[in-house]
Amino acid sequence: MDINKKVIALVSCLGMAPALWAVEKTAQEAAWTWVVNNIVVVIGLGVILFAFYALWNTFEAIIYDKRRQVLAEQGIELKPKEYVQEDSVFKKMYDKAWSLVPIDKEGEIDLGHDYDGIRELDNRLPPWWVYTFYLTIVIGIGYLYVYHYSDIGLSQQEEYSEAMEEAKVQKLKFLFAQSNAVNETNVVALSDEKSLQEAHEIFSMKCASCHGKQGQGLKGLGPNFTDQYWKHGGGVKNIFSTIKYGVPEKGMIAWKSQMQASDMHKLASYILTLEGTNPPNPKEPEGDLWVPENNTDSEAN
Amino acid sequence: MEHNEPILPDQERKGAGQDNSALETFYYDNKIVRDFGIATTVWGIVGMLIGLWAALQLVWPEFNLTQYFSFGRIRPVHTNAVIFAFVGNGIYMGVYYSLQRLLKAPMYSKLLSRIHFWGWQLIIVAAAITLPLGYTSSGEYAELEWPIDIAIAVVWIIFGINMFGTLIKRRENHLYVAIWFYIGTWVTVTVLHVIKNLEIPVSMWNSIPVFAGVQDALIQWWYGHNAVAFFLTTPYLGLMYYFLPKAANRPVYSYKLSIIHFWALIFIYIWAGPHHLLYTSLPDWAQSLGSVFSLMLIAPSWGGMLNGLLTLRGAWDRVRKDPILKFMVVALTAYGMATLEGPLLSIKSINAISHYTDWTVGHVHVGTLGWNGMLTFGILYWLWPRLYATKLHSVKLANTHFWLGTLGTLFYTIPLYWAGWTQSLMWKKFTADGFLAYGNFLETVTQILPMYMVRALGGTIYIVGVLIMAYNLYKTSRAGSLVSEVKAQAPARKAYVSHKGEHWHRWIERRPMQMLVASAVVVLIGGLVEIFPMLVIDNNVPKIASVQPYTPLELEGRDLYIKEGCVGCHSQMVRPFRSETERYGEFSKSGEFIYDRPFLWGSKRTGPDLHRVGGKYQHSWHYYHMENPETMSAGSIMPPYEHMLDNDLNTDYTAAKIKVLQMLNTPYPNGYADRAVADLKNQALKIANELREQGIEQEKLEDKEIVALIAYLQRLGTDIKPKAK
Repeated sequence: MDINKKVIALVSCLGMAPALWAVEKTAQEAAWTWVVNNIVVVIGLGVILFAFYALWNTFEAIIYDKRRQVLAEQGIELKPKEYVQEDSVFKKMYDKAWSLVPIDKEGEIDLGHDYDGIRELDNRLPPWWVYTFYLTIVIGIGYLYVYHYSDIGLSQQEEYSEAMEEAKVQKLKFLFAQSNAVNETNVVALSDEKSLQEAHEIFSMKCASCHGKQGQGLKGLGPNFTDQYWKHGGGVKNIFSTIKYGVPEKGMIAWKSQMQASDMHKLASYILTLEGTNPPNPKEPEGDLWVPENNTDSEAN
Repeated sequence: MEHNEPILPDQERKGAGQDNSALETFYYDNKIVRDFGIATTVWGIVGMLIGLWAALQLVWPEFNLTQYFSFGRIRPVHTNAVIFAFVGNGIYMGVYYSLQRLLKAPMYSKLLSRIHFWGWQLIIVAAAITLPLGYTSSGEYAELEWPIDIAIAVVWIIFGINMFGTLIKRRENHLYVAIWFYIGTWVTVTVLHVIKNLEIPVSMWNSIPVFAGVQDALIQWWYGHNAVAFFLTTPYLGLMYYFLPKAANRPVYSYKLSIIHFWALIFIYIWAGPHHLLYTSLPDWAQSLGSVFSLMLIAPSWGGMLNGLLTLRGAWDRVRKDPILKFMVVALTAYGMATLEGPLLSIKSINAISHYTDWTVGHVHVGTLGWNGMLTFGILYWLWPRLYATKLHSVKLANTHFWLGTLGTLFYTIPLYWAGWTQSLMWKKFTADGFLAYGNFLETVTQILPMYMVRALGGTIYIVGVLIMAYNLYKTSRAGSLVSEVKAQAPARKAYVSHKGEHWHRWIERRPMQMLVASAVVVLIGGLVEIFPMLVIDNNVPKIASVQPYTPLELEGRDLYIKEGCVGCHSQMVRPFRSETERYGEFSKSGEFIYDRPFLWGSKRTGPDLHRVGGKYQHSWHYYHMENPETMSAGSIMPPYEHMLDNDLNTDYTAAKIKVLQMLNTPYPNGYADRAVADLKNQALKIANELREQGIEQEKLEDKEIVALIAYLQRLGTDIKPKAK
């Protein structure tokens, strides 16, 4: 019987959950906002209700005791206690919600059907089940109204537009911040261990698939970074610029809207360090020989 | 164990009235039940092992052995095997046992029973051969090609004739609730199977579906969802209504509940399909109907669980001891959880998180491992001693199986829930600067590989349990001998005079044909309301002028994409979310899919969405990536497809495909079929030359399959893309 009760209790709790979830979004939000804003009031009301309940029980007990005393003085014995056996409010609600016929009275609701020995009882539909069903139907109708016949619910297109408006603000803020950041005209190669290590990680994740894990270049894809030849100019400024604006016609992505200027800075510096590392399977040189001395673009190393 | 006695004919006599002289003698066919039981067990093990194999492939790509056993081809073998072979045979086992006894009549025709049995097994074997060969029509749970579709229809109708023949010859006036479910199942599956598989054959193992794009998607998920509803749920509810009261020896809790939840369930279930397509290009109204009806499905679904669990009132002390009842209780609980979770997943805001992730896979397995698996095992343990007139070999082993099954289910599902949430959050996370926090899709995959490992462990535990069961059943059968015919007696059915005060529903319980018609009508309403407007009202799919039919080479490339089962891991549906348009590009429009036969939106993203992949990479990137994905994406779990570099493209059916597409109103010019192969060769040569420019040196490159696949991938989603500057 114990397991039975637990299972039933669990099952009925779960049964109520979808109703909460299902409430249409804005209404749900509004309700929650109210609850959160007035949390003191909500808790307070709960406490007051409980206090009344406890007081009521206490008064009842005191009155009963008093009565017994008075009657005892007159020689009348009051039988000990019915009020302890009184079912709790929750028990009553629970019984009502299930409306189960006790097992020993099952015979009265046997329908007399017999299918290969299987009998059928005429139990009521559990009321909580019926009301859950009604509730989902009401919510369903409400849902259709909210999303299709009112201005409350957003269509998926409207939801998208809203999200993109927010994104635009975020992007603008970012670009504004980037305007003060390092760019291709003022970039100077970094040489600190930490930056180069971070750049190595970015390289493995974002560059290696076309340029090789060690920057050796891949046939049919990105050029070799370990030789002295560059298709779009060597030196940190040109490399920074190639990362930033890409070479779309050759398949090189423009990273400016996906990568922080500081990361492009580290990456360009890291790529410079690959020269002369002689990894296995290098791709043949492409572009022109880049000689730093011939250029005004001075390198840190 | 209390239920270890075979069913004796005497039991039949008890309810038969006093007039012994009028008793008719007949024999129940137990052999067919036993045969289906063996098939259930054997195919169950096979199907689950293949599932385990696929699970291992997702962690260690080395398990993709040859082109025939790569994940894309293995996955449909797993799903078809466990749904149609394991559960399918389980349904027939239970129906053939219970139907005879509930109707007090042997099966209508032993011959039809045999044809049904062997026909179904042949279909399974055909599926197991054709799917690894890449013969697939790609719709989930309807992958089998047209000749097998026809065979399924024939065998299913034979099953129907056998069932209705038995119903007509019955000695019982009224149909028990289990039989309502059998009838509802039969008629609905017939309708679903026929409409989903409307296709025009191109060759023996290739066909083109009649519906395209959004319409095909809607029909697919109307079918796919109701394959779950009417193949995995309603017939099993029928079995539950017979075997649970038998095993517990308790009366069914509420006849009224049976009536209400049966009709409500079949009426509402059919509407819920579009919840598989939330936030896609399916029109909003259809999506909303899917959500709303899914919510309303909670109570009807739970009606079945409640009626089952409450039937156990007064028997819970035995549940503790009896493994059969334990299996059934866990099955019902899993059913309840899955049918609550399903509606929750149909709510827009939750679906936005769950869709395309492993959450869905976890959800499905609560249903299949928990509900279908555990109920099947309970029934098998109950049946086997009865079929062999002996005791179960070992109750202890059955108990062990119970715990392994329960644990296995938990170890399988919990990591997948975790994986689903993790991956979804990673997909959607933006940095404070407005970048995707995990811009590289692969990061979100490698993150969840540990969860995939635990999932494979869970699957292993579950399978060990099933193997123990197979051993236990085998030993049981050796201990006894098969009672292939069981003698029974009952009076002939007399004309029934309805009496005052009887429940209104008794009327239809005496009329199987009316029951058939009524359930067909109830089921058809939802389907018609959703599908009909999609087919006839043009503005449900706004036309886009720049969207053109595929070229012959792209068409062949698309068929390779279908053949390899790419759709099992890659969606082609960018949803209107910032996190998706940022990652993939413009969100997908319904008008873009009007020439997609079949649609390839997919339902799971193990890899990234591909709808906007066209033009994203150079040809050579795809070439290397298909040869070995690891070279382009270190740590990728995608199988290699190097055979595409070696295999010549088959163009024998290109002209036939164009002709069929023209029949279906794809606007190719008149007589284009004759020029199609020449066009194909031209385009192939052009792409092969571009590949050569990018440094690929391979002889006869233009004849290879890879070129067709690249042509298709580079075309994807480019119809509405602004041309490159």
